Amino acid sequence: MRLGRGVLTIWFAVTVTFLLLRLLPGDPAQAVASPTMTAETRAALLAQYGLDKPLIVQYGIYLGQLLHGDLGLSFTQSIPVTTVLFERLPWTLLLTVTALVLTVVVGIPLGVLAASHRGRLLDKVVQVVGVTGQSIFVPSVGVLLLFAFGLMLRWLPIGGAYDVGVYGVAWYGSVAEHLVLPALSLMLVQLGSYVLTMRSTLIDALGEDYVTLARANGLPYRRILWRHALRNALLPTTTLIGLQLGFLVGGAVLTETVFAYPGIGRGIYEAVTQLDFPVLQGAFLFLALTVVVANMLTDIVYGFLDPRVKSA
Amino acid sequence: MTTTPLVGDIEPIVPAAGGTARATWRSFRTEPLGLVALGVLLVLVLVAVLAPVLTRYPSGYGDHVLAPPTGAHPFGTDALGRDVLAEVVWGTQQSLLVAIASSLIAIVFGTLVAVVGAYFRRLDGIVGLVVDLVLSLPVLPLMILVAALVGPSTATIILVVAAFSWPEVTRLVRSQALTVVHLPYVDAARLMTSNPAWIIARHIVPAVKPVIVVSVVVTASRAVLSAAGLAFLGLGDPSTWSWGRILYEAQQSGAMSSAWWLTLFPSIAILALVLSATLLSIAYNDARNPRNRRR
Repeated sequence: MRLGRGVLTIWFAVTVTFLLLRLLPGDPAQAVASPTMTAETRAALLAQYGLDKPLIVQYGIYLGQLLHGDLGLSFTQSIPVTTVLFERLPWTLLLTVTALVLTVVVGIPLGVLAASHRGRLLDKVVQVVGVTGQSIFVPSVGVLLLFAFGLMLRWLPIGGAYDVGVYGVAWYGSVAEHLVLPALSLMLVQLGSYVLTMRSTLIDALGEDYVTLARANGLPYRRILWRHALRNALLPTTTLIGLQLGFLVGGAVLTETVFAYPGIGRGIYEAVTQLDFPVLQGAFLFLALTVVVANMLTDIVYGFLDPRVKSA
Repeated sequence: MTTTPLVGDIEPIVPAAGGTARATWRSFRTEPLGLVALGVLLVLVLVAVLAPVLTRYPSGYGDHVLAPPTGAHPFGTDALGRDVLAEVVWGTQQSLLVAIASSLIAIVFGTLVAVVGAYFRRLDGIVGLVVDLVLSLPVLPLMILVAALVGPSTATIILVVAAFSWPEVTRLVRSQALTVVHLPYVDAARLMTSNPAWIIARHIVPAVKPVIVVSVVVTASRAVLSAAGLAFLGLGDPSTWSWGRILYEAQQSGAMSSAWWLTLFPSIAILALVLSATLLSIAYNDARNPRNRRR
């Protein structure tokens, strides 16, 4: 069932991409063949890319190629799109996963703190921070951090993913150093939603009968908060991860652009400026695939948190 | 970047008779944050409308390149010596235009799909599936793809943002509409007329109006962020100033990290618009909910 849904989503992403590329004005035929060519050269080029066939046939061929893992050749680099993207995918995964883990690790305790101090100053501060966090433009935070920690304080590097000419342990060190600012920017723009969701669901959970019962039984408040109420309140937050994935990926595109980070997002930016449609289309598919896989993982985590879902 | 869930939960409230609008306003007036947010939004609208009066349209080249903020140029100048204040002022026009136009399209379409789906149960399954599928796609990359293919222009940006914002509206409105269609007064209306359009327009849409108001604000503020994101990636309208374009040009000229004023002022503008829209929707939500009303 879960798998079927994932496949459906990927098929949807593939079809949307295909239709957009073929039906919108800037179709690949124009990108491949320029109007100044002679009619024969143009026809030959279009035939070579299979663009002279009817739409439905093209769609079939396209799906067939995808099933073989063939995303076509990059217009500008003349190497397979998959090669271009597989070089970049690990960096995007590293960035987004780090940012997500940071968000959850910081966001959940902050939400718990706000909920357990409901109505007091601490709660209000956390709420203001949360709402503001939701309204920030990703590049704004990125550039601000870059300016403060990269240029003024000179603590951290201002771009790229690693230092050239460094090997072994030092290489991992430089990767970590380059990761700090992009991951932090991405975390900051995500944090607000998690904190606010955590806060409101935990407040609801604390009002439930089982909490009153636990208190009547004399269980320490901390234990009730962290073990009983939190476990139930975590469910909507887990759902939120799934809902936020698309947003996380979008944020990664902008963050990677700010920090010249060599991930897929930066690849999209370069493909846009060079009108490299096969790379653009492949990158979109990769990102859609990442989101679908991550969604399935969230579902599995949800099953662990709430056994009722698993048995259903 | 359009899937951030709402700040406050929208609680389904059984529609009340007339007079709620006034009660909501009376309660809203006591919310200082909501009033400040409304004020900021009004100022931004004024700035957008009065842009030609306030500043000269930034174009050509200036004498002082990358000058930090001074009396003559309160926001400094950019890599071509143009006044950043003027760019931000004219950018307000573009940002508000995109936000209002795209969220209106998204709201009308999204609401229509939601209420029609909720009313005709057979369509609802399809509506729910399509919304889920679109929402699970990474929206910004999709927008980038379309904007790159169609070519940058203000109309493109508006349509692209609208095209990928309506599912969120549908999701919000649909959940509310589904609770309403089962209420007895809708069944009663079914006995009175066989015209579904009339029931939807007369009974269902008014009942989901509060959710629509909130989604207008949320969609508009997200549209600002999406449009700024596209412009920042060089996919904005190259002939009109927008906040994202200032950031894009700052990055292209390599001055982004050294000339802090190029980033700071458009960033503040974006934050002010999005934050006040968000606060306004929270305050409206609180004011509308009788349980939160003091007195």
